[in-house]
Amino acid sequence: MKKILLWLVWVPFLLSPGLLQAQEEAARSLDALQKKYSGLKDYTVDVNVHFDIEGFKAPDMQAKLYCKPPDRMKIESKRIFFLPKEGGTFNPSMFNKEDFEVKFLERLTVEGRNAVKLRLTPKKKRRNGQDFILTVDTDRNLIREMNVSSFEGREVKALIEYGHFSDFDLPTRIELHLDVPFNESREIRDFGQSAQPAKRVTGRVEITYSNYKVNVGLSDKIFNETTPSKLKEGS
Amino acid sequence: MKLLWLEIYKTFSRWRTYIGFGFIALIVILTEVVMKLSAVEIVNRMMRSAQKDFLIFGNVLNGWFVTAFIMNSLHFHIPFLIALVAGDIVSGEATSGTVRFLLIRPPSRYRIITAKYVTTLFYTTGLVIFLGLMCILPGLALFGSGDLIMHQYGKFGIVFIPEVEIPVRMLFAFMAAIWSMTAVASIAFLLSTLVENSIGPIVGTMAVVIVFLVIGNFPFDFFSALKPYLFTTYMVFWQRFLDDPIPWQEIAKSTTILGLHSLGLFFIAFGAYARKDIKS
Repeated sequence: MKKILLWLVWVPFLLSPGLLQAQEEAARSLDALQKKYSGLKDYTVDVNVHFDIEGFKAPDMQAKLYCKPPDRMKIESKRIFFLPKEGGTFNPSMFNKEDFEVKFLERLTVEGRNAVKLRLTPKKKRRNGQDFILTVDTDRNLIREMNVSSFEGREVKALIEYGHFSDFDLPTRIELHLDVPFNESREIRDFGQSAQPAKRVTGRVEITYSNYKVNVGLSDKIFNETTPSKLKEGS
Repeated sequence: MKLLWLEIYKTFSRWRTYIGFGFIALIVILTEVVMKLSAVEIVNRMMRSAQKDFLIFGNVLNGWFVTAFIMNSLHFHIPFLIALVAGDIVSGEATSGTVRFLLIRPPSRYRIITAKYVTTLFYTTGLVIFLGLMCILPGLALFGSGDLIMHQYGKFGIVFIPEVEIPVRMLFAFMAAIWSMTAVASIAFLLSTLVENSIGPIVGTMAVVIVFLVIGNFPFDFFSALKPYLFTTYMVFWQRFLDDPIPWQEIAKSTTILGLHSLGLFFIAFGAYARKDIKS
């Protein structure tokens, strides 16, 4: 009995420094990420989106993206353009450690580099709240993988590849894997046609970025017309 | 040919013929103005599901979408407007007391009934073309052009139709709509040859269309089994031209079935008119 009590006292004591260290490392990783991109004031890039989603028949879509961290974005496209909300845009400032409860999950290696896996839960609870699981390459301070899951059952996994542009590592390709619930909108249903039950939609979206122009001094005026309000929520 | 022009002249001399055109002009313009005023609300409602996962940019609510939206909403009302004229074209002669005068003249009954049927089809075509022009021209002027986002009929999904493809697809869609309405016009025409007042064929045609549509949309196995035998099932085949890929086989089937209905109904009307007793 004494031995058991002794273990109960000693084991948490022995483990706690490790846990504390891991939590510190998690926060350090996010800090490093913020610091790495603190000099990124704005950028423009050409975006191509390729859809491979069940039941979603759309051609490739092209647009020019104007971005000014932390929350300003504008899309310029001659045609209709769909950009995935989760992982569709690169915005490192959205993972501000003050806004999340950060939990260290594991250490791992990604393509031979050291990495950590972190769970980020927003401190401000929203109705459609999301949890993020980030795989951060700690050698280069890059988010390599992002898993987003919402309380509504949306699951999005983003795999990110980078290129080096004007001293910054910026995405050249983001591959999104979607598994989301989809309820048919009444407005786009044919008259007299009964509603179809909600179902899950799975698929892949490939977003490629080219022709980066970094820190060109974009004016705020550019964003005044079409900045989508939802981006400001950090989605 | 002279007989045909005479029938067309007679038909377009009646005020009743213009009710359909007036109704379409009024309802389409009203819908487009309301859609223009509530554009943001409509786009948000329409794209509610997609907006959960995508940021959407561009002119979604464009003239082509408005046209497809109005066609979707009105294609169950147009049969009534067609029946107004088609249901009256033969029986109207009896009502106005001109049938005896007409049938004792040299042109044969076959030529008369054929001329009346072609006039019915002429009116039907004109009405659908008018609907198309009323939707597209003010639609493009008010909402501009752009790609068309359509719900894929009968399946789960959304279809994007590039702007360059839309005019041709719309042309085919309206041709298909004319073909569908021909079947409705043929029912009204047949009923018009069987009775001697105009109300019966108009109400009768609408009764047939409504009953068939209701039966076809009941979610019960018994009614589902009947669906392939109802002409109303094929009436919306114009929507197939806004699918991707275009299901040509299904379109060919619908075209054939509706064509056979129209032909069959015309021949029955033809036979009924040939045996019509004008002495009593």
